[in-house]
Amino acid sequence: MRTAAIAAVPRSLTILVTAAAVLAPLLLILYQSVLTAPFFDARKTLGLGAYEFIFADPDFWQASLNSVVIAAAMVIIAVPLGGLLAFVMERTDLPGKRWIEPLILVPSFVSPMVLAFGFVVAAGPVGFYTVWVTELFGGAPWGIYSLTAIGIIAGLLHVPNVYVYASAALKSLGSDVEEAARVAGASPFRVAATVSLPLIMPALLFAAVLVFFLGFELFGLPLVLGDPEGHLVLSTYLYKLTNKLGTPSYHLMAAVAICIVAVTFPLVLLQRYLLQNARKYATIKGKAGRMRELPLGKWKWVAAALIGVWLFVGVIVPLSGIALRAFVSNWGYGAKLVEVFTFEHFQSVWDEPILVRAIWNTILIGTVGGAIAVACYTAIGFATHRRNDGWSRFVDYLVLVPRAIPGLLAGLAFLWVFLFFPPLQPLRTTIFSMWLAYTVVWLAYGMRLISSSLMQVSTELEEAARTVGATRGQISRQITLPLIRHGLIASWLLVFMIFEREYSTGVYLLAPGTEVIGAQLVSLWQGGAIDVVAALSLINVVLVGVGLALALRFGVKLRD
Amino acid sequence: MSELTVDNLHLKYGDNPILKGVSLTLNRGEVVSLLGPSGSGKTTLLRAVAGLETPHEGTIRIGDKAVFDGSAGTDIPAEGRNLGLVFQSYALWPHKTVFDNVAYGLKLRKIGSDEIKTRVTNALGQLSLGHLGERFPHQLSGGQQQRVALARALVYNPPVILLDEPLSNLDAKLREEARAWLRELIVRMQLSALCVTHDQGEALAMSDRILLLNNGRIEQQGTPEEMYSDPVTLFTADFMGSNNKLTGRITEVRDGTALLEGDGWKLWGAARQSAKTGTEGTAMIRLERIRLTDGPGDNRLEAGLTTSMYLGDKWEHLFALGESRLRAYGDKPLASGRHWLHVPRESLWVF
Repeated sequence: MRTAAIAAVPRSLTILVTAAAVLAPLLLILYQSVLTAPFFDARKTLGLGAYEFIFADPDFWQASLNSVVIAAAMVIIAVPLGGLLAFVMERTDLPGKRWIEPLILVPSFVSPMVLAFGFVVAAGPVGFYTVWVTELFGGAPWGIYSLTAIGIIAGLLHVPNVYVYASAALKSLGSDVEEAARVAGASPFRVAATVSLPLIMPALLFAAVLVFFLGFELFGLPLVLGDPEGHLVLSTYLYKLTNKLGTPSYHLMAAVAICIVAVTFPLVLLQRYLLQNARKYATIKGKAGRMRELPLGKWKWVAAALIGVWLFVGVIVPLSGIALRAFVSNWGYGAKLVEVFTFEHFQSVWDEPILVRAIWNTILIGTVGGAIAVACYTAIGFATHRRNDGWSRFVDYLVLVPRAIPGLLAGLAFLWVFLFFPPLQPLRTTIFSMWLAYTVVWLAYGMRLISSSLMQVSTELEEAARTVGATRGQISRQITLPLIRHGLIASWLLVFMIFEREYSTGVYLLAPGTEVIGAQLVSLWQGGAIDVVAALSLINVVLVGVGLALALRFGVKLRD
Repeated sequence: MSELTVDNLHLKYGDNPILKGVSLTLNRGEVVSLLGPSGSGKTTLLRAVAGLETPHEGTIRIGDKAVFDGSAGTDIPAEGRNLGLVFQSYALWPHKTVFDNVAYGLKLRKIGSDEIKTRVTNALGQLSLGHLGERFPHQLSGGQQQRVALARALVYNPPVILLDEPLSNLDAKLREEARAWLRELIVRMQLSALCVTHDQGEALAMSDRILLLNNGRIEQQGTPEEMYSDPVTLFTADFMGSNNKLTGRITEVRDGTALLEGDGWKLWGAARQSAKTGTEGTAMIRLERIRLTDGPGDNRLEAGLTTSMYLGDKWEHLFALGESRLRAYGDKPLASGRHWLHVPRESLWVF
């Protein structure tokens, strides 16, 4: 078995390489932020000029304020809706739950860039739905370019993030504590209010911090939707800064990056603390008995309608918009779908070698790259598995670091790493640079997948191998690894989807040879090539869809 | 007066029948144990009484009120049945203090806060938990958690208290103490209790009556003495106590006794209903009823000693009789070789 080699990599080497891959970009950003010019500039000196510059820029403060407002709006919208959704899905007799569940998770697997673009072509000033509604009723009562609209859309798209944690908490809540309340005389709704909800409070609190944090990471949505009215958030401010001074303004970008990390890193630490606390709180040994579902009665239709509306707005509108836009030559008032139907956009994608390469690279980075990434995560997982020493704790914190660095910044930092260290420069224009950035950016996510697989292997199985005389390495190779095989394949599928979806990490690493669909979309969007963006977005959605279909077919849990 | 009556209860999960017509009564001040191997339906029966499972046929009455009636379509939900249930896992609410856990049922019954305080303090006091009111469940030991679960179920004076394997989460040593303590509490407070257990020792010690369930049906019911000393079926005889089992052919049945013959041995025993001349039979005798003797005689066997085990208060000797194995207690070690065993007729049941 070739994968056996993974478990044989010396522990110290694994930890060392991980630390280098994680810390080098961060340290480089930090170093660049205290220079007065880009690091390759001969005139650079140490100084806080970059910070002084951005702190004096009113746009920076406006962007910071917008980020806070949007993040807060997301929390206010996503947490109650996600909690409610989880309760309805886990504890009531809502019909059709089995096929609603994967639909709920769709927004978290489709690239936000694609979704944002979908909103523009579906509900923008001349979007499909806007035109139809206007032709029917004489006007469409919405706009999607205001700050409020961005906040609402972002909030709706992050409902799945809350749903995942709230429903996991409800699942792990033994039904016996609820039954005890029923027997004591509490009605089902009383049980929900006095027992179930208070017990999942820690999970909801964690989800709230997570969503607020994701609000600071937001890039595609504000880039596409914020542009027409000029609303900047911190990430788009950083992106616009690229050419603000005419020359590469790396020092300014680094300073903004450090400001963003200064907000996100404490949030990540807070999440970790809350998660540990939530686990402590949830050590309820409940007998996983048969849960009697709460009958919704006529509320069933209200709940179904609410979920339907949310799915329509968050999933169907943007995706149908993209699907339609990819097949029409133009769109506006008076246009008829049949007359403007065309395959031309796909033809122009096919005629453009760069785009064809982008598609191949995207598939390659998802399949082969995804497999290698899972192998790396597994090696790190084994380096800390069942070891409770200083190195393990170090790795625990190490994998948190990339979590705090939004993809856009990570991509920028890796660009600098490849420019800064001359031996690495030849790799800069190969897909390896993109893969490395992806793998590090999704380190925390991947490690969560791996460690949840590892945790399912009972300690006794490993201890039994030890008592019959297996060394630690042999146990890893011959006992643990074969046992988590299915978990690894499932992780590969999930990482595949995440890598297909990824867009912001590649923005700065995009170069001839490293094209991927996600980053190419950002660049094409800036160039205004709507037709090609639509076709490429659809291809991207189809790629993710293939992964999703495979995952559902093989019963991969879409969340841990 | 009967506090709880279950009549001809049927329950299935999907197509899988769990209860196949179970009937029982529980009188005031009585402790009834539901005993049986796992999968016999005892916990399901308890949960059906509590309202946590829905039967499809039969009736459940609490006092003179029907809480479930399959033919009339009555099914009062769990919260409307006013029962006390102690869960196997205790199911204490981890976000509430001990006091609040116990007080919850009273709050739901809209009782004034002064009275709640008095009654909860009183209940905690009775279970020697008076000083732990402000603690959270995870700060308590297993035994304390069990008593909180009990206090929570008792505080609103339900007519019947249901106990689901109440002692199974305790350590072996603690379990025996808790058993005595629980029995004393039930008698002192004159509770009517229905208790599920898989441990026959627990059932014998705690109950006034035992219902032995087997595969969704009641195999036999009676007082602990009846269940132990006068089993009607082979299943009951086998489930209670530690036993020796011998199989052979029944060659004669007369005056309520039967003769069972095996490979080189013959024994007379008390014939049970199923014993018929000329059929294969099984003889059963409790370990403590076999006696070691010096020589041959009436209803005696000669068997070779295989090994002996020291149990502290006695020895357990293992004998081989052809293919069969016999165990017997003795008060001293035995020399290896062949020994004579006396099997009293009245203690050997032939099925």
